[in-house]
Amino acid sequence: MPDHGLRITNLRCQVAGKEILKGIDLTVEPGKIHALMGPNGSGKSTLAFSVTGHPQYEVTAGSVDLDGEDMLALPPDKRARAGLFLSFQYPAAIPGVKVANFLHAARQAERPGDLPPAKFRALLLEKMEQLGIDPSFMGRYLNDGFSGGEKKRLEMLQLAVLAPKYAILDETDSGLDIDALKDVGDSIAALRASEEGHNTGFLIITHYPRILSYVVPDVVHVMIDGRIVKTGGHDLAHRIEREGYDKLREESAVVA
Amino acid sequence: MPSPAPVVADRDDATQELYDLVAGLDPSPFSVEERTRALDRFVSLRSGREKPGRFWRVDFEAIAPEAKMIDLSAANVRVENHDPAVFVCDLATAARECPELFARAFGTTNIAATKFGSLTAAFAQCGVFVHVRADHACDVPIVISYSAPAGAAIFPWSVVLAERGARVTIVERLDGGAGAFLCGATEVVTEERADVHYAAFQQVADGARILWNRAARPGREARMSWASAELGGELAASDLSVSIEAPGVQANLTAIFFPRGSEHVDVVSTVDHRAGDATSETVVKTAALDRGQARFLGNIRIAPHAQGSDARLRDDALLLSPTAHVDSVPALEIGANVVKAYHGATVGAIDAEQIFYMESRGLERTAAERMIALGFFEPAVERFPTVQLRDEIRAALAAKLS
Repeated sequence: MPDHGLRITNLRCQVAGKEILKGIDLTVEPGKIHALMGPNGSGKSTLAFSVTGHPQYEVTAGSVDLDGEDMLALPPDKRARAGLFLSFQYPAAIPGVKVANFLHAARQAERPGDLPPAKFRALLLEKMEQLGIDPSFMGRYLNDGFSGGEKKRLEMLQLAVLAPKYAILDETDSGLDIDALKDVGDSIAALRASEEGHNTGFLIITHYPRILSYVVPDVVHVMIDGRIVKTGGHDLAHRIEREGYDKLREESAVVA
Repeated sequence: MPSPAPVVADRDDATQELYDLVAGLDPSPFSVEERTRALDRFVSLRSGREKPGRFWRVDFEAIAPEAKMIDLSAANVRVENHDPAVFVCDLATAARECPELFARAFGTTNIAATKFGSLTAAFAQCGVFVHVRADHACDVPIVISYSAPAGAAIFPWSVVLAERGARVTIVERLDGGAGAFLCGATEVVTEERADVHYAAFQQVADGARILWNRAARPGREARMSWASAELGGELAASDLSVSIEAPGVQANLTAIFFPRGSEHVDVVSTVDHRAGDATSETVVKTAALDRGQARFLGNIRIAPHAQGSDARLRDDALLLSPTAHVDSVPALEIGANVVKAYHGATVGAIDAEQIFYMESRGLERTAAERMIALGFFEPAVERFPTVQLRDEIRAALAAKLS
């Protein structure tokens, strides 16, 4: 029986010599939605980047396995091809590279030869319609001149087109209005309802419980100062909404 | 023709051989006397280009063809024109059969006053004259191809006259074998409201040298677009200029260059706003790989009386190897006080965040870098006319990246 799940074990990571992650244990099972909450600077984005292989994030201990495969031994592109996806909080703009060409290249890289160009185009149009994205997006340069909301929509489009095994959404909700948040929720629901994405596991990073009204998590983790200090069900998100992080911070300080 | 420069007293043997050659040339399009004066200017004028130094390997003052390379019948000239209403002929025919028309454009720019423009004038023999009559829209691009055999020196001269309200797109293709030397000139003169898009695509072989001077004088409210892709040769030097002498002109200049190996590219663009209420936009994209080196000097001049000018200059350079070198010098000279002038220049390597973003979507690092580098050129490539030309330029850029 293969070891299914995105399994993060005792992960420690430093950036520019400063330890940010201080031993993270977390497993996202196929088809499950985990929320990772925590205040600014707690290390949530560092977890996202270290798991996906950003070169500036140095993993000093621990392991990350995707369905039993060691991710830390692989460069970022191979982690993606193994089925890992990161929705960026601040996606890079790449002038001159058209959205449609980039998505086709990414789909080809991750699933070589699975769709001829015409079928890919049909898939892209279908996903764009589902997400309420104007077809003119296809001819625009990647994130170049995009509004914050448009960038997030494009991340969701990529999620839909690539249908990864595990998706980390790094503050996809930040800067979005209620309607756009609902769209994010709908796009995750649409992926989960699709044949390709019904088993995708999610790690949704956020510091506001708002998005969790649209995407109901199976598990909620709270990270403070590079450690997961609490894990619980959806009610944990509600507790944070009522009490904020201070009380949890105090409790974790007592435990530490 | 400009007045003669001082004659150099002591000529070395190589230079004397050039003079001997000039003395025996056909008197068209320039007389032997004019050719000799042009050669005088070539010998005595400075190029205005950077001297060799810490980075630069090329000494422009030492560049000259050897007389034995010069075989003026060697040039291969081809013209594709599918519009019978557009008059196209060689220079000798133009000078003989429509001298007044020809004289409205030929030699009316400052090309023959520059060092290498003078060299072209001294030996000019092959060339093409294009005349588009008033209010005629030529919908199919005219293609002019010049090619030099390996080891040969050629000196083509293209002349375009677009009359009032005429519209035309011209694609100039330049090719040359190993060791070839191409030194050419292109003059475009337009009248009121004409619309000329002139694109040059240079793909001479490794080891060839090419120097080209392109100058335009658009008429009132005319639109003039230069687009130049310098993608071949061990040495490519290009001058691209628009002299705005009438109000309401809209000038667009685009340049793409990509030296790799030990190639050197040197491009100077000049927009002279000498009349007001005109707009100009210059877009330059350079990438350099291996020990490739490139220099771009972008001049914008706005004369004191050219009020209401709007000039933009955008120049981006991408260094793809630590040993590549690009110098970018935007130079604005603004004499009027009611103007808009903008210039921006960037030089740098590919952004690591861009690479990571693409890698995180499954693209290998080399594929990501390649896609980013090709994308870098795209805003300039899109300014070239015709889908076919744009695709050819993309393919040539991709080949240089491989």
